[in-house]
Amino acid sequence: MSELICEVIRRSCVDFADIPAVKWTEKKEIKERSYRELGENVTLLRKGLLAEGFGGSRIAFIGASSVWWVESYLGVVTGNMTAVPLDIGMPAAELAELIVRSDSTGLFIDAAKKELIPELKSLCPALRQVWVMQGDAEGAESLDALKEKGSSYEGDAEPARDDTAMIIFTSGTTGKSKGAMLTQHNLAENLEAMSFSSKPGVTLLNVLPIHHAFCLVMDWLRGFDKGAVICVNDSMMHMVRNMNLFKPQSMLMVPLMIETLLKRIDAIKEPISPKEAAQRVFGGRLRYIFSGGAHLDDYYLERFKEFDIKILEGYGMSECSPVISANTPLAYKYGSVGKPLPNAEVRISEQGEILVRSSSVMKEYYKMPEETAAALEGGWLHTGDKGYLDEDGFLFINGRIKNLIILSNGENVSPEEMENKLGVYPLIGEVVVIGESNGLTAIVYPDPDAVKAGGLDDEGIRSGIQSCLDEYNKTQPTYRHIVGLRLRETPFEKTASRKIKRDKVLQ
Amino acid sequence: MEERFKEILAQYTSLTVEEITEETRFRDDMELSSLDFMTLLGEVEDEFDIEFEETDSVGLFTFGDAVKLIRRKMGDE
Repeated sequence: MSELICEVIRRSCVDFADIPAVKWTEKKEIKERSYRELGENVTLLRKGLLAEGFGGSRIAFIGASSVWWVESYLGVVTGNMTAVPLDIGMPAAELAELIVRSDSTGLFIDAAKKELIPELKSLCPALRQVWVMQGDAEGAESLDALKEKGSSYEGDAEPARDDTAMIIFTSGTTGKSKGAMLTQHNLAENLEAMSFSSKPGVTLLNVLPIHHAFCLVMDWLRGFDKGAVICVNDSMMHMVRNMNLFKPQSMLMVPLMIETLLKRIDAIKEPISPKEAAQRVFGGRLRYIFSGGAHLDDYYLERFKEFDIKILEGYGMSECSPVISANTPLAYKYGSVGKPLPNAEVRISEQGEILVRSSSVMKEYYKMPEETAAALEGGWLHTGDKGYLDEDGFLFINGRIKNLIILSNGENVSPEEMENKLGVYPLIGEVVVIGESNGLTAIVYPDPDAVKAGGLDDEGIRSGIQSCLDEYNKTQPTYRHIVGLRLRETPFEKTASRKIKRDKVLQ
Repeated sequence: MEERFKEILAQYTSLTVEEITEETRFRDDMELSSLDFMTLLGEVEDEFDIEFEETDSVGLFTFGDAVKLIRRKMGDE
């Protein structure tokens, strides 16, 4: 019987008390928080929340990776509360929609986004309290004030095995994101099932966005479980600088980052050894990169061997807390995403879809019974990915059933969701969004009536539609920007129910 | 500064220093991904002892755009 996630944290804060739990930089100076200090802060924050009557509530998070984000998050999940991590890059209206849909009554927000506080409060009437994670902000309480309340609160709360520890929103094919509810048990089981062990004090560098299940569980919760020193990359601009500063031994990445690092290595023109090159770019101690979120070409696995770095690919999804299978140093096969974890059973359906049954599969989608029933039909999680198991039990992915675009940064985007928004512009008659090597492209059939009414020539149509895309991009995080435009002279081929035949577009 | 910036860019792309002009586009001409570009900005920070904000990269499409930004930052220091 595994622990609950609250127990994992409590144990680590005692067992690894004197080890630094988190390191970060402030004005190029390294700061750190020990496991003991982390544990004390987490307790005060949890008790502060309970003192304020947030027991049993859902609490949203908007912020980049930071020690304050993590302490607040742990304050929530070590109590009988549910954390709802949100994407800091999302526009205010979309953040508000998810806060409302998750029934969150509290919000922790990064000081970098404090200008959103008035708008979010007005759009989310059920929000009772906002806490700013660094310093002070108008309309919000500070973490110090919350901890102060916790220091005089005598009660506490113990979560139950099936309490929802967090809700992770994932892109939905219907254009509406779904909140996967992960329990205390789901998360703890996923940590326990990852057999790859490491010694306390091992240094990790966190470079992925913390609102993703992959990052939050694999970097942070797993790191804490093992007593790792988790270093925070303050900006993607400083990834290489921080690798040199913190000298990580292991990192979690998406393929886009691995590609960028190799370009960085290849840009070194002096005749130096691979070891010296690795020292210069990776800090010299990096031995393992865990890659997930999207497929990585075998070429990179080979190239990184030159630097004595093993890339271990894995596979998962938020609904599975998130890891389903992973290569390990002792059991790996090129091109595969490893063997299913010991707590996961994988089966391939007649249609070739990967189905999963595991103690880490989510409880349900929050307040979406139809979507839950479809995703968990027959007691198996329907991943939407196509794949097969080889004779040695390694899982291979070879296609998708779901209509999601997987970008090389690991973000999943729903083309229908974007198409619905783009379709609102009068000049866009029909549109299909596809993923290409350098980003998202919109294929547009201009609306003939709008073209006629505007008296537009070819150039006018192109610039008019480009303006629509520019306007749309301004409302979206960078990874969801549409960077390519192709025009069609004829409408798209459609099914009998007038839906665009997407497979024809992609051919 | 411009010449040194061109040298840094030329290391990452198939373009030579001579081929990089004001209008050269990071994405289309140099084939840099958004992340390549972000890490490049980090190197530029170190090289010219300046600091960018995360939002500075928005609206930078060409070599000329980036030169203007770097000049402004160097002037700010």
